[in-house]
Amino acid sequence: MLIKHYLALFFLLFLSTPIFAQKKFTISGTIRDAGTGETLIGATIRISGASTAATLTNNYGYFALTQPEGTYTVAVSYTGYASIVKTISLIKDTKLNEELKSANDLDEVTVSANNRKNENVKSAQMGLERIDMKSLNSIPVLLGEKDILKTIQLLPGVKSGGEGNTGFYVRGGAADQNLIILDEAVVYNSSHLLGFFSTFNADAIKDVSLYKGGMPAQYGGRLSSVLDVKMDDGNNKEFKFQGGIGLIASRVKAEGPIVKDRGSFMVSFRRTYIDLFLRSSPDSTVNGSTLNFYDINAKANYKINDKNTIYISGYFGKDNIGVKDLFENNWGNVTTTIRLNHIFSDRLFSNTSLIYNNYNYTVRLLNDATNFKATSLVRDFNFKEDFQYFSNKHTLRFGINATQHRISPIDIDSDEASQVNSLTQERRYGIESAAYISDEWAVNEHLNFLYGVRLAAFSLMGPGNFSTYDADGNTLSTENVAKGKFHKNYFNLEPRFSVSYLFNEENSIKASYNRNTQNVHILTNATSSSPTDQYVLSSTNIKPEIADQVALGYFKNIQDNNYELSGEIYYKWLQNQIDYKNAAELLANSNVESELLYGVGRAYGMELFFKKKFGKLNGWVGYTLSRTERKFTELNDGKYFPARQDRTHDISLVGIYNMTKRWTFSSSFIYSTGNAVTYPAGKYTIGGQAAYYYTQRNAGRMPYNMRWDVSATLEGKVRKKYQSSWNFGIYNLLARKNPYAIEFITDPDHPGKTAAQQTSLFGLIPSITWNFKF
Amino acid sequence: MKKLIIYLSLFTFCFTGCKKIIQIETENADPQLVIEGVVNDSLIDQQIKISKTIGYTEANIFPKVSGASVTVTDNKGNTYVFKEGTTPGTYINKMKGVPGVTYNLTVTAEGQTYTASSKMPNVVKMDSIGVIKNFFFGRERKTAAVFLKDPVNETNFYHFNLYVNDILSERFYVNNDRLTNGNDLRIQLFFKPPTNDHDSDELNSNDKIKVEMECIDSNIFDYWYALSQQSNRGPNQGTTPANPASNISNQALGYFSANTYQVLSATVK
Repeated sequence: MLIKHYLALFFLLFLSTPIFAQKKFTISGTIRDAGTGETLIGATIRISGASTAATLTNNYGYFALTQPEGTYTVAVSYTGYASIVKTISLIKDTKLNEELKSANDLDEVTVSANNRKNENVKSAQMGLERIDMKSLNSIPVLLGEKDILKTIQLLPGVKSGGEGNTGFYVRGGAADQNLIILDEAVVYNSSHLLGFFSTFNADAIKDVSLYKGGMPAQYGGRLSSVLDVKMDDGNNKEFKFQGGIGLIASRVKAEGPIVKDRGSFMVSFRRTYIDLFLRSSPDSTVNGSTLNFYDINAKANYKINDKNTIYISGYFGKDNIGVKDLFENNWGNVTTTIRLNHIFSDRLFSNTSLIYNNYNYTVRLLNDATNFKATSLVRDFNFKEDFQYFSNKHTLRFGINATQHRISPIDIDSDEASQVNSLTQERRYGIESAAYISDEWAVNEHLNFLYGVRLAAFSLMGPGNFSTYDADGNTLSTENVAKGKFHKNYFNLEPRFSVSYLFNEENSIKASYNRNTQNVHILTNATSSSPTDQYVLSSTNIKPEIADQVALGYFKNIQDNNYELSGEIYYKWLQNQIDYKNAAELLANSNVESELLYGVGRAYGMELFFKKKFGKLNGWVGYTLSRTERKFTELNDGKYFPARQDRTHDISLVGIYNMTKRWTFSSSFIYSTGNAVTYPAGKYTIGGQAAYYYTQRNAGRMPYNMRWDVSATLEGKVRKKYQSSWNFGIYNLLARKNPYAIEFITDPDHPGKTAAQQTSLFGLIPSITWNFKF
Repeated sequence: MKKLIIYLSLFTFCFTGCKKIIQIETENADPQLVIEGVVNDSLIDQQIKISKTIGYTEANIFPKVSGASVTVTDNKGNTYVFKEGTTPGTYINKMKGVPGVTYNLTVTAEGQTYTASSKMPNVVKMDSIGVIKNFFFGRERKTAAVFLKDPVNETNFYHFNLYVNDILSERFYVNNDRLTNGNDLRIQLFFKPPTNDHDSDELNSNDKIKVEMECIDSNIFDYWYALSQQSNRGPNQGTTPANPASNISNQALGYFSANTYQVLSATVK
């Protein structure tokens, strides 16, 4: 019933647009960087005259504004670029393609800082964080390897997966509840080297947006956040080459025009070289060991004509870990995206995408008695059709999306001599499809709505044998489903609604509600992400996970948008959450669904954010007060217990100081409450060994985390052809021993008693990186 | 797979900075009853031990529970009454279990009654034990290993105890044949001494090794497997610790297992 009312409201709102008798025309176009020809995402176009209106360019730099006939002043602006102001008389539909000059090519004085002025206050969108790629470069990180996933962990509402870990938790969600997309392709495993580095090479990234809440209807499939990462298009004016040499990895990137001003390409490559040091060892097992990762980002685009532009982009990454004669483990993601932008009319913009992505791993044990090779693969084909329609006060977005999943959980291949048997676990097939519509509606100067709905359907397909289980995990029934037949279907309607009310240009309140569902789940009972994490689809046993989130926020800008201040509170209900039975065997288990428990969760909290955007000193302070709990009938006597990532307080402080034109200093400081963990409440002996007695689940706390990182960047002298810079960093300047793990041992000082021994991963770690550009 | 995890954790260890003793905040729970009962296939004094838990901060002296009534019956109609022997809290009866027979335990202690049952699996012969040399980062590491032939026509569960120079290794060794059914198995048992010293976990020449092997039923496998998942790893690593599911009723801790028993010894060359 609720659904019906919602739909009725939706159409009522949209159809209630007043119809003007006055003639209207559309001004539309693409905004680009004058130096590189790179399209600018989120540039502001503001027009004033007979009426005033403003809009932002979309993900492809395109915008359209429809206004009554008349003479207007148009201002186009973007952070770090010089604004363009023009006068136009709107007597017919008009094209406005502009190129803005970057600060690098200009005298600093003329640079406008007014891009998206007060956008954070005005837009109905809540819970959105955009990462400025320029400040990313100066934020200190482990071993100097700049990383977007570690930078987003410094934002309020986003919690780190652990020391040096790229996994993250958003507003009480689990690590597998983040939708991480690179040029629209899902990246299943976003970590390199067991989580210490992310799959995103910052050199190749153009734009990063993180939605913590109020997800627009075009996104779906995961519960707690959307991390939308877009690759650089490449310079379509001239050839450029850049790179960097760091302690752990080196990077190179090449870009240039395919046809000047019409098409460009970008290729970027990164590789670590720890194993090159291993190789120099005289010892044969050491120099035969591997420990490396590499990744390649590539993209090309070509403007066929004024109405059609084609983009092809891809990512390929691989990790290799191995010890000679013992084992090898490698894993990686592949993504390919082909997109066609088509402008049907000045007001109707479409994007068609064909996407392929996979994640795979291989484990090989080389021990003679236990040798085997295990492989696993998750593979998606995805088709998306997305439309944007720009009307006077509405921006309408609608589209469809269909994804075919194939999961090969594990194939074990072994020879006769091996004690491990060959095994092929049944593949699983699923189709996820969705249709969505949303409308961004500027009702008047005070009121903005962003509302929509997404209909998400999921089908688990044959071929396969699908079992149901009783509470003890015994098989109740098994159904054999033929190829192409539907085994189980789920339909979910996901309403998305946000509203902002502006008191004035600099103050607003916003509220949002959204529902998200998820049909691809990770099974893992380890803390950090592991390459052998297992993916499962919704089934008769596993119901789609559902999250409902409400949020309320106050947004304020001070001193001409020099400072931004915001406070948001949220409450989130989670259904069909997954945990594991005691002694669950998750790997290579065709009855893995019998090892699962299902429960609910709730998360609530407050996020405060203060940011200084411009000036010699800029940066931010973020504070999160939150609680995250789960409830399972079978665990903790059926009572709510804190999730592992429940950290009551979380503070981050980031400062960047541009001392001179050549020297930039930066610092980041984090503090967070320790993870919720289960400590023993008693002990006994069993089988002659110490065993622990546990009462309440996750009632204990790890010690708190605190870390201060600093870095300094020295820009080389500006030369005509060639430019370079040095980056010096210190990770964990206080050399604080942050908790990574705790184990219980016999107390060395009081034999017969038990002591808790904490392990820390990193002490103080210095780093140095040299970057170049020509 | 488990082996892989051990290798990976050794890898992680390369990054490991440091360890220190910390204070944790936890409650001291009220004492709970612990029953550890085994009936094996040798004619010996079979033992049912009853004790209590102590608080986390207390010294390791575990109270024994005396004066309980302990009875084992089997599905052949035999009843065995266990009597408290010279060791308080340890109840004994000289008897011999038989594979294929289900044994039922009834314990009445401190006014509460606890029951459990376990079926003794068939014997799988432990063929031999030996020492395997692995090379890890240039260091030779000797590891104890058990050799046996897993029967193809049944599901088997194994539990091992490793002793090095009569010192019990502080690790729970447990295997099933889910991925290895019907094969010649070589199961490596990585030694963990009771001391905190990581250097003493290696086997040296002339060390005496002794391996006990038990064929156990599936409940007991789950019990040991749950403990093995938690042992040596505190919270925040791996599985959230919880009490392993006991096959004993009335919320007693511990287990009652009817299992086979074999033991072999060797000397490291």
